[in-house]
Amino acid sequence: MRLFALTVKRKRWEPWAFASPSLALIALVIIFPLAYSFWLSLNNFDLSVGAEYEFVGAKNYQEVLFRDPRFMGSVWNTAVIIAPSLVLELILGLGLALLLSRVARGRPIITALLAIPAMVSPVMAAMAWRMMFGVKYGAINNLGLQLGLIDVYFDWFASTALALMSVVLVEVWHNTPFMMLVLLAGIQSIPQELYDAAKADGARPWQSFWSITLPLLKFTMVVGVMIRLIDLTKLFGLIFVLTYGGPGSSTETVAFTTYLAGFKDFRMSYAAALSYVIVGGVLVLTLLFMWIQRLREARTA
Amino acid sequence: MAIAVERRPQVVARRRNRRRAQRGVAHLLTYLGLLVALVFFLGPFFWIVTTSLKGNEDFFTFPPVWIPPEPSLSHYAALFTRSSGARYFTNSLVISSLSMFAALVVSLPTAYAIARWRFGGGLLSTVLLVLRMLPAIALIIPIYIMYKMLGLTNSYLGLVLVYTVLYVPFAVWLLVGFLREFPMEIEEAAMIDGCSRLRALIQVIVPIIAPGMAVVALFAFIATWNEFLFAVVLTGIETKTMMVLVTSFTSGGTDMFYGEASASVVLGVLPAFAVAFMLQRYLVKGLALGGTKG
Repeated sequence: MRLFALTVKRKRWEPWAFASPSLALIALVIIFPLAYSFWLSLNNFDLSVGAEYEFVGAKNYQEVLFRDPRFMGSVWNTAVIIAPSLVLELILGLGLALLLSRVARGRPIITALLAIPAMVSPVMAAMAWRMMFGVKYGAINNLGLQLGLIDVYFDWFASTALALMSVVLVEVWHNTPFMMLVLLAGIQSIPQELYDAAKADGARPWQSFWSITLPLLKFTMVVGVMIRLIDLTKLFGLIFVLTYGGPGSSTETVAFTTYLAGFKDFRMSYAAALSYVIVGGVLVLTLLFMWIQRLREARTA
Repeated sequence: MAIAVERRPQVVARRRNRRRAQRGVAHLLTYLGLLVALVFFLGPFFWIVTTSLKGNEDFFTFPPVWIPPEPSLSHYAALFTRSSGARYFTNSLVISSLSMFAALVVSLPTAYAIARWRFGGGLLSTVLLVLRMLPAIALIIPIYIMYKMLGLTNSYLGLVLVYTVLYVPFAVWLLVGFLREFPMEIEEAAMIDGCSRLRALIQVIVPIIAPGMAVVALFAFIATWNEFLFAVVLTGIETKTMMVLVTSFTSGGTDMFYGEASASVVLGVLPAFAVAFMLQRYLVKGLALGGTKG
């Protein structure tokens, strides 16, 4: 009887009971705050003015989209940081993955060592590099002087172009290992027989790279790039430590500008509106990502 | 093919030798390339560690001191006492450990419901994706105001609560994978012997999937350890984490106080080193799903 009861009678409430703790917490800490934040974005709550606020409708959004050069500048900065970072991470990651896939001995240990930067917090990565870039005591200036490559103590964050390049360098250092890991997994999933057959037909190594590796790795590359793209729209900790948005506001990213609006100017409603505009942008990218993945599933099926 | 048959033995031998030499060169170049990569990706860590071990006099010399002749731990001592590093290091440990345990406890029953009853599995992947993509900056503003009203800023509880919830979808997703590999018969046998479902889960399943839970736990630990945005906004003087502490050294401009700063970076990246080696097999999955970024 007990066995019968166990297998046939399904208690409807049981799955809900098991899932309820996490559902309740997600509702409390994610869904409710997001709703509250949307409400805030329609008001003019400003902590530097006071605790009172009133409903202003879409006014904040109008300001974000049409009358905020600083935000528009940060959108541009973010794009200027993202584009070269993605290209470099993809090329370097692919190169490293190809090198690793040819290694017979010691691959796990080399892979783990190369993966370490990706495991480190952006704040720590930026701090290490900020010290490396240090004018008097930094490793880069000292090494350059010792080797005779430069003849003055150089300030690597003095101009906009240099600061942006430094940010890109640190970002590439930080996240190329991620791309490498993703692409290495992709390369290893390509059946060896394809290469053997190509070799038997007299294909050169670069020919098998162009006609086997690259086409079969295409979707892996797209997924890796999309993940990095979406994460790069959130670039914050790295900027906070490396440049704090400077010089001027030339390296401020969208996330950093929103942080400043909220926690330096204390314009809470305005920051909420900014964050919702960012969410909208990320949502478009996410839908694109889901569409690509569905395309991939359709292809492989 | 006829030509190949007519080849004289010396020619064949020479060709084979040349091919072997080419392969040897290719091999050498592969390792050389990887060596360059290792220097680039690990060089900063090496420099930070040696800098943290330098004596104060080693900073001011030219040519620069790359490896300190007399390594000393004085900067670590200064960090722990003068900059209250001991307290902030403990804060990071406590907050990460609590979040890790809480995330596991909350996620396990949910993962079980999805694995056993196919409960909301499709919804889960959507929720997971949305949360993975959601910019944290969108959550921090309302949560800061709510926490201010509730008096939860500058408290362990506030930070642990946020970290737990942010981590739940990821933990659930990984745990569902481990639970689906688990044979249902063992659990049913336990239930026929009079075990309730919850007891079967805790006493029968948990010990068996413990290695999988350890993977989830380590990712949760490193993600909360690394998290910065919530930490910098929600913590106060008593509850700062290591991530917030390092940023305090940037106030000296580009030539900040190198000794303590480098010591704090060394302590801050320590868990990443440990986890990179322990979780080698899961790194791709974990990183793609945001396992290391809060």
